[in-house]
Amino acid sequence: MAIQGMWSGTISFSLVAIPVRLVKAVAPGRVSFHLLHSTDYSPLSRRMFCPKHEQTVPPEEIIRGYEIVPDQYLPITDEELASVSPERSRTIEIVEFIDLQEVDPVYYDHPYYLVPLKGGEKAYRLLAEIMRRTGKAGLAKFVLAEREHLVAVKSDEGALALVTLHYSEEILPDADIAPKAGTVEAAEKSRMQKSIRNMMVDFKPEKYADGRREKVLQLLKSKKGAIVEAPEAAEAEGEGPPDLVAALENIMAEMKKNR
Amino acid sequence: MTGKIIELGGRRLSLSNLEKVLYPSCGFTKAHVQEYYRRIAPFILPHLKDRALTLKRYPEGVDKPFFFEKRCPSHRPPWVKTADIHRSDNEQMTVCLVNDLETLLWVANLAALELHVPLAKAASPETPDAMVFDLDPGEPANIIGCARVALILQELLSRLGLSSRVKSSGQKGLHVLVPLNSPEATFEDTKTFSRAVAVILEKNYPDLVTAKMAKEARKGRVFINWSQNDSSLTMICVYSLRARQEPYVSFPLEWQELEQLAGAGDPERLHTLQAEAVRRAEQAGDLFGEVLSKQQKLPHL
Repeated sequence: MAIQGMWSGTISFSLVAIPVRLVKAVAPGRVSFHLLHSTDYSPLSRRMFCPKHEQTVPPEEIIRGYEIVPDQYLPITDEELASVSPERSRTIEIVEFIDLQEVDPVYYDHPYYLVPLKGGEKAYRLLAEIMRRTGKAGLAKFVLAEREHLVAVKSDEGALALVTLHYSEEILPDADIAPKAGTVEAAEKSRMQKSIRNMMVDFKPEKYADGRREKVLQLLKSKKGAIVEAPEAAEAEGEGPPDLVAALENIMAEMKKNR
Repeated sequence: MTGKIIELGGRRLSLSNLEKVLYPSCGFTKAHVQEYYRRIAPFILPHLKDRALTLKRYPEGVDKPFFFEKRCPSHRPPWVKTADIHRSDNEQMTVCLVNDLETLLWVANLAALELHVPLAKAASPETPDAMVFDLDPGEPANIIGCARVALILQELLSRLGLSSRVKSSGQKGLHVLVPLNSPEATFEDTKTFSRAVAVILEKNYPDLVTAKMAKEARKGRVFINWSQNDSSLTMICVYSLRARQEPYVSFPLEWQELEQLAGAGDPERLHTLQAEAVRRAEQAGDLFGEVLSKQQKLPHL
């Protein structure tokens, strides 16, 4: 599968500027389905429905509102939203370096790879190597798809990777989850330590597969013969009033004869 | 920011951000847009008159997000004519009527580059004044393919005793309009009629034409969009600018001219830029006048 670039620009800090392209690091393997009308397999579309007027609402009549309290909204136009949207970033400006171990995995949002572009290979290799050896990551603010993200640029086996991080206010508190401290018997403690030790292995993600996905794909394969076809929308309604259709057919025949 | 206040027919209109570039690839500014609509006004105004205007606004230029505005903005000058239209849900909506030069320039000042209007007037929203065939090419088909379909359509209609007119959409396609101008016309009839015509053309020219909305069917063919004949839909007004890289215009073509251009096979010559639009309109007059005046009745219904 070709890797699609979603952004290109430069990584920079102090006097270094490395031209790179951003690509996705994961492609969720979900099997997706279309929704069909069970009576004739017509594909269904989503419409916005106004329950008060009991009718579908055309796109030009749809606006956004921010809920203040139930049934009270602040209307916001696309224009207003656009006015506060950040400009697309041209650079990933690293402002600080941090220890990667300090980042709680709960902060990790979405992973990407950074691919070196022409002329940037040497600096790219150097930065990746130094960050790998020191276990450091660069922190930057970066605008992707109209959102300003906090990102970490890190080394990933000789390549540079970028991971978007959650902002701290997005992280929900976990203060009440851990139970209060209490006494634990020494024997109990060593028993648990021992069983953990016995179950230790190296992390090999390839050992695990999404079992349901495999089963769904198997199921689809076994059903290959049962393909149904959606009806042609225009044909289903007929051609039109018989008089008109007859007149049109006649004219069409004459026109073709004269050509 | 440069602005100025102009006075027209005793009405004051303040124009703002005139230096703002709305078509960045060619430096076409809001002042240029104003100038275009001022000069094309004698030709476009009859086609906008008494119709509920949908503004398609590009406040930051053609490269940036746009938005549709159906309701007439509440900050309008007091002299802007409006109509209250009843929608199917019985709610009222106040819309702008662009019936004079001042309103046209005010609308242009809102960076409403594209002016879209329904096929019916605001006072009689269920009575179409014309029937339309919206010819939309699916790549690799282009406007030359549309021209071929339009010419077949023109002959077919004329054999049915119906006179028709054609204009470029200003985007990729062509619009063929059949004037009706009769109080008896209904969208139900124009839709039934145009669909039957589209289906028969698809049947006879399957490699050239499709009457189906589905993307796959449209590939390499000209989609005859008959479903535009609907009271709830709007079309780009003839002589309106389009928000493309350059200021192209939805512009009328003579049938003879279309035949020559289709024969010559150069798609570029079927597109009209604003300066040429003004020049040609001033020279030849309103080639679309008949759409507003000729009375015709759809046969065989």
